[in-house]
Amino acid sequence: MIPELGSFAIILALIFALIQFSAGLLIKKIERAREFSVAAASGQFIFLAFAMLCLIISFLNNDMTVVYVREHSHALLPFIYRIGAAWGGHEGSVLLWCVILSGWTMAFIIFNRQHGQLNNYMVSILGFVSTGFLTFLLMTSNPFLRDFPSAPITGDDLTPVLQDPGLIFHPPMLYLGYVGFAIGFAFAIATLLLGKLDKSWARDCRPWIILPWSFLSCGIVLGSWWAYRELGWGGWWFWDPVENASLLPWLSATALIHTLIVCEKRNAFKGWAILLAIVTFSLSLLGTFLVRSGVLVSVHAFASDPTRGIFLLGYLALIIGGALLLYCGRIKHFYQAPEFEIFSRETFLLINGIFLLSAVATIVLGTLYPIILDALDYGKISVGEPYFNTVFVPIILPLLLLMGLAPHVHWGQQAIKPLWNKLRLDIFLSLALGFAGPLLFGFAFHWLAAIGISFSFWIMIATLHFFLRLQTKLDLKYSSMLVAHIGIAIIALGITVNKSYSEERQVKLFPGESVELAGYSFKLENISETKGINYQSLAAQFSIQHFTQKPYSLIAEQRIYSSHDQSLSKPGILANGWRDLYIALGAALPDGSWSVRIYYKPLVRWIWAGGFFLLIGGFLSLLYSWQSRRN
Amino acid sequence: MLIPLQLFAAADYYTFDSPEQQQRFTTLTSELRCLVCQNQNLAESNAPLANDLRTQIYQKVLTGQSDKQIIDYLVARYGNFVLYRPPLNFSTFGLWFGPFILLLVGIAYLIYYLKREHRT
Amino acid sequence: MKTFRYLLPFIIFFSIIILLWRGLALHPNQIPSPLLNKSTPQYSLPNLFDANHPTTQKDLLGKVTLVNVWASWCPACAEEHEYLVQLAQEQNINFYGINYKDDSAAALKILKTAGNPYKIVAIDQSGNAAIDWGVYGAPETFIVDKKGIIRYKQIGPITPDIWDNKLKSIVNQLENEN
Repeated sequence: MIPELGSFAIILALIFALIQFSAGLLIKKIERAREFSVAAASGQFIFLAFAMLCLIISFLNNDMTVVYVREHSHALLPFIYRIGAAWGGHEGSVLLWCVILSGWTMAFIIFNRQHGQLNNYMVSILGFVSTGFLTFLLMTSNPFLRDFPSAPITGDDLTPVLQDPGLIFHPPMLYLGYVGFAIGFAFAIATLLLGKLDKSWARDCRPWIILPWSFLSCGIVLGSWWAYRELGWGGWWFWDPVENASLLPWLSATALIHTLIVCEKRNAFKGWAILLAIVTFSLSLLGTFLVRSGVLVSVHAFASDPTRGIFLLGYLALIIGGALLLYCGRIKHFYQAPEFEIFSRETFLLINGIFLLSAVATIVLGTLYPIILDALDYGKISVGEPYFNTVFVPIILPLLLLMGLAPHVHWGQQAIKPLWNKLRLDIFLSLALGFAGPLLFGFAFHWLAAIGISFSFWIMIATLHFFLRLQTKLDLKYSSMLVAHIGIAIIALGITVNKSYSEERQVKLFPGESVELAGYSFKLENISETKGINYQSLAAQFSIQHFTQKPYSLIAEQRIYSSHDQSLSKPGILANGWRDLYIALGAALPDGSWSVRIYYKPLVRWIWAGGFFLLIGGFLSLLYSWQSRRN
Repeated sequence: MLIPLQLFAAADYYTFDSPEQQQRFTTLTSELRCLVCQNQNLAESNAPLANDLRTQIYQKVLTGQSDKQIIDYLVARYGNFVLYRPPLNFSTFGLWFGPFILLLVGIAYLIYYLKREHRT
Repeated sequence: MKTFRYLLPFIIFFSIIILLWRGLALHPNQIPSPLLNKSTPQYSLPNLFDANHPTTQKDLLGKVTLVNVWASWCPACAEEHEYLVQLAQEQNINFYGINYKDDSAAALKILKTAGNPYKIVAIDQSGNAAIDWGVYGAPETFIVDKKGIIRYKQIGPITPDIWDNKLKSIVNQLENEN
């Protein structure tokens, strides 16, 4: 009964979405149109939330007559993972996509003050996006399809790698980000249709970009942390196509946020802002397509199905193609001649935009290149970490420099000499810390490490310098920039140190033996068999000793889930603020010893801590928007 | 009192004659793609084929084969797909130089745009 | 000129769409063989059916051979096995097996119970010989011509569909070559 209700709720939601889409366009009286579209949007949200609830209930009940539940759940699957499993597969995640889009639409309706033609158009466009995805959901990816088996079954189980707290948070966070950019997209299209911009548009629009951006930052960081803990390799970023797909809208949204700042302060770059708003959401949609179509091999890819791929591609072509054609036709209404000198903050923000877009183009190029060559019959190649690291780093480094420099550059025009005088101490300090710092801690000198650390400190020092020199009192406006930029600096520092100074060893250990790494001694005490709810595990107990301190104990496991043949390595991780010690248990060897990998990872947690700073920065900016609206 | 931290030293899984060899092995296996678990590199995959290939690469490094020889050996059998670092040739020219060309075009356009707008 | 500048995003986007549309028809996880139109690798492996005489690549000369990489632990191999037996019997196809990383006793048992399509089976216990062939999973089948040149590689099990639509014509064409 419940799955049928869920299915029916989706159909109703689709009808409401259609009404929501057409109301804004067909009804001429603004207030009337708004009444209809708000009612329709609310209806859509209620029924989609209900559908999601039905799906979760089906999982909690382990209703194996629902095909999707059978494919992703198991009689023994822990309670909490059954909820996560609701969005762990393709069909459920598309439903989640739709629910979150509808939720964002409601948030926009409730919290946006203006009631006008622009708003109606926006709600209508959001309705169009919803209609497309709900049609996709119903026609190709219905999670409520049923199949009544003749005998009771236990289910295929959720893939062991997904049985982790990360599953509960990472996809919803990502979608809150991805999907949230639809609002910016709707804004851009509505503006193009109307042909004019309100005075306060940039200020009104910004929170609707920053909030999804914060969620997306959080989602990306969560994904990285999850992969680190779960995949047993100690890596935190693999340039996997799906990871790239989440980074692309993030980079574009960052460019958009900075462009909006110029729009607000100097009434310039309006055309850029509109284009970037379209591009950001387009990248979200592109990412959604890439993960589900099977065109790329990826660790995250949902079960691929060419029919779904064609549908999504057609939808993508329609909505983005239409948007970009509209842009081409109408953007000249928004052109503005630049009113700033070449050496000014505006220029630097433009350069920022160019670098970020280059980064986007680079990642798109690298990710799609295998398809290009294959389609042209030039054979199959792989484009992986070595490529992306080589091309991405030179694009990011200048950006880091700009980040510290730009706040000190005046709007309109800036003379170079006073700037140099102001900043030369900061430059010197950063270089000193970068080049001498690692040596002080006993690390060897690496050029890339010195540069990366210098640039990270440059951002921190120059930004703090700017902040301390502000004549006005501490306010929210700049504090968000302070926190967010420092967040990036922390991430850059974490990445640089981690990449340059990590150590690892792969050894054969008999119980009782120890191995040394980075000044720590790791001793394999014993191996025992344990059981979890739905798995059996071989647990290796290690004790770690550093000089004469008290030893720590750490467990690394090899788990075999009852439903799957393969074993999952669950690493033991010992973390403090400065380093992680990471142990991954490998296979048992014929002579009775065990293959073990040990890693020393300095500052890896800083990468995720930096992400947390980004989140705070985002929320500070929202507070500022809310505060300035009240005044 | 001196606490003996290790009574029995563990043997490295792959032992080499020098740290350079060790480093070469690590770099090579991390830049090669596992053909079975196609989302992992050879260093990290647990697939039996990955194990076999790692062993072969290990032996080749020990016997003094160069990186190029080892890579050529694998490419002859599995094609360029096995390389995570794509080769630089005619068909991958766009891949390797594209990013920088795009960046330069972007910067060039910016300069042109600024200069032009300020002349009027 | 200005219009072109504004049309550029659309042009770039449209190119990507075309690319992805083409990409939907491709199989990104199937690795093409770099050994096509080259001689088979050289090897000397024990023969499952004749412990005293090892088999080498010379055994592939003079006739069109389907070299099938298989193992008893491989479920997809079991899927195609019956059809291979049928092809061997009804259409006189010359199958040559490479038993990949397997236990010989288990392999022989399968051939006894499910039928034997192979004239010769080379035992590759370590898997190293198969690496020379570019094998990365079982089952894989190489179509080798009379001169010992690899002409086609089939990844995955051979089904009646695949045989009728693809492999049969290749084998026939190679049979007619000198």
